Amino acid sequence: MNLAKTAFLGSIALLVGLSVLLYSQMAGDRGQVGPTLIVYCAEALRLPLEAIKLDFEKETRQPVELRYGSSQFILTQLDLNKDGDLFLPADDSYLTLAKQKDLIAEVLPLATMRPVVVTRPGFNKTIKSWNDVVAPGVKLGIANPEAAAIGKLVRDHLTKQGLWDAVTKQQPTFLGTVSDVGAAVQLGTIDVGVIWDAITKNYPKATVVEVPELKGITAQVPIAVTKRSAQPTQALRFARFAAAKDRGLEHLHKHGFQVADNADAWALTPKLDVYAGSMLRPAIEQTLDEFQKREGVRITTVYNGCGILVGQMKTGQRPDVYFSCDTQFMHQVRDLFGEPAVVSTNQLVIAVPKGNKHDLQTLKDLGKPGLKVGVGHEQQCALGAITKETFLKTGVYAAVQKNVKKYAPSGDLLIVDLRVGTLDAVVAYQSNVTPYAKEIDAIPVTGIPCAKPEQPLAIGRKTLHPQLAQRLEAALRSAESKRRFEALGFGWEVK
Amino acid sequence: MSTHSPDAAGQRSNRVFYWCLSLLGGTYIVLIVAMLVADLAYTSPQHFSAALAKPEIRYAIMLSLVSCSITAILSLWVGVPLGYLLSRTQFPGKTLVDTLLDIPIVLPPLVIGLSLLILFTSPPGRWFQENVMSVTYFVPSVILAQFSVAAAFAVRTMRVTFDQINPRTEQVALTLGCTRGQAFWNITLPEAWRGLLTAGTLSWARSLGEFGPILIFSGATRMRTEVLPTTVFLELSIGNLEAALAVSLLMIVVAVAVLVLTRTLGLRGTGLI
Repeated sequence: MNLAKTAFLGSIALLVGLSVLLYSQMAGDRGQVGPTLIVYCAEALRLPLEAIKLDFEKETRQPVELRYGSSQFILTQLDLNKDGDLFLPADDSYLTLAKQKDLIAEVLPLATMRPVVVTRPGFNKTIKSWNDVVAPGVKLGIANPEAAAIGKLVRDHLTKQGLWDAVTKQQPTFLGTVSDVGAAVQLGTIDVGVIWDAITKNYPKATVVEVPELKGITAQVPIAVTKRSAQPTQALRFARFAAAKDRGLEHLHKHGFQVADNADAWALTPKLDVYAGSMLRPAIEQTLDEFQKREGVRITTVYNGCGILVGQMKTGQRPDVYFSCDTQFMHQVRDLFGEPAVVSTNQLVIAVPKGNKHDLQTLKDLGKPGLKVGVGHEQQCALGAITKETFLKTGVYAAVQKNVKKYAPSGDLLIVDLRVGTLDAVVAYQSNVTPYAKEIDAIPVTGIPCAKPEQPLAIGRKTLHPQLAQRLEAALRSAESKRRFEALGFGWEVK
Repeated sequence: MSTHSPDAAGQRSNRVFYWCLSLLGGTYIVLIVAMLVADLAYTSPQHFSAALAKPEIRYAIMLSLVSCSITAILSLWVGVPLGYLLSRTQFPGKTLVDTLLDIPIVLPPLVIGLSLLILFTSPPGRWFQENVMSVTYFVPSVILAQFSVAAAFAVRTMRVTFDQINPRTEQVALTLGCTRGQAFWNITLPEAWRGLLTAGTLSWARSLGEFGPILIFSGATRMRTEVLPTTVFLELSIGNLEAALAVSLLMIVVAVAVLVLTRTLGLRGTGLI
């Protein structure tokens, strides 16, 4: 065999050998759980995210890959590659763009950053205001407003103040990322740059100068789970880790970011206790179950009459979320929760077996002799309290009382009695009746405002997982949840 | 009798000529040396050893060396046949092929990376990644990005090499009963060994410096697709200028070592070293 052929065969052997060497050296998945989570991350967050990634991988053995770039660049990559699990831009304005492309599911707040001016070593001019920054002879560098969050925010803010024209007239150097600006200032290739306060530590030779015209610009740094993620539970777990006050936020704080006060504590499988009025069960059960599975959390739900639930809370129980049947019960425990928000309404009805053989049309008819009537217990549940109030306001309370044979802690129990025939009529909610529409007729109680109670939801003030609870609230206020509520006869009050 | 003989005048003229050439060419040498000195002045042996102590940087060194070597071999595998065909044969579409081979050289490297990214997000690209192997953002993408640019240089070099080899010896071999293939393996290719060395070295060196397409197509993931140019970028992006320069100098040392080695091997036996 001649030398040329020998060399060719040798090159094949060398190629195979090098490939084997490469394969053996590559970081494997040994001992790691699950496919790699891909995070598209803004350049400014590189250092804290590297630390967060290492801690997360150590704690959960889930591999994470961070892909960096300016905020616009990573948004483009996310849209193009269709493989990202998480998106972490330097400002939430990029989330708006991502939402317009229908890329984003859950969003968790992480931190805030402010832009500051930095000057190069040896820069001897005084900078007191933005006019000094754009003065003739000063070489200014800014991250490209079309690509980087800081450039965009500064441009938009200065444009509102009528100061951007002076910038463009000065012909600054537009650099690709905020890190490029910092490096250029530190090296001295530009005199002045605008970077995030959180990354000034990376450029110790640069001098930080506060300029009043940039006050008022705050970048809200979020982490978002993408809709395309093939492993949303794991992605949410990483997002929760990054946003946890005793995990990710510690790293962010160490690197100079302003972090949120009301962050969640970290737990691999967080637990949420939810108290809900019985009548809400059919409307929210599936939503809670889906939320549990997606978030990888455990929700313990206590369904009962609101009077009982309030009683439990007054004796020391502290649920993370309370979904009340009526505002009056929420009001009784208002010091335990944040601002409640109404989600739905439920119409009071007179429920009778199909055919309405007693021809009951109004509340007054419930006083007909010989009728067996069931109502909610006025102290145990909102239904009972509202029913009593309605009877009193229509002046039929005494007449109907004579026929009341059962006081139940929930409307569902009254419907059971109606269906088995132990009662002739009950006063319940529309949502209690709708699932049995083939067996039961419902006559709405109209003309009385209190006969259409509102169901508010509130988050506990002392919950360990306020953001998780907020996401649960968002899930209960979502379009899919609305569909479930309305299918049961609830009115929807979410604007 | 004149005191200035024609020889002396000629020598003076020659000296002036060489000085002018040296001055012009020397400015470029001075620029290169000045850049190296500036880099050296900004870093220190401590930064160098701190950089080498990082496992990510050691991985980047390994990946750079191995991927460049694989790319160089693959570039020769395509450079030799394409160079030979373009030099020795006429075929329909030769001009088009010749022009196409210039595209990776004239296009900005970022465009190469973007084009590869788009290619592998297309339906055939996705099928390949789902059924054969993952490419985008994995190690094969590093080699592919390097190869896309380096192979073009290998083709050009081999074409010039084959153009310079007199086809007469090959033709003589054919008249003596060799097939075209036998003439190629036994006569032409051995004669082209210096060109092979040059093409391989050029491909290797070009691959080492490749950054733009790798950033777009392979990402900058530490311990996976990080090569030395990516390391410089990553260190620079967190303000670690000293480490970035240390790695830059490391690249220069590695590149010079490989170039000197291959050139020494190539010139051995020629009497030039």
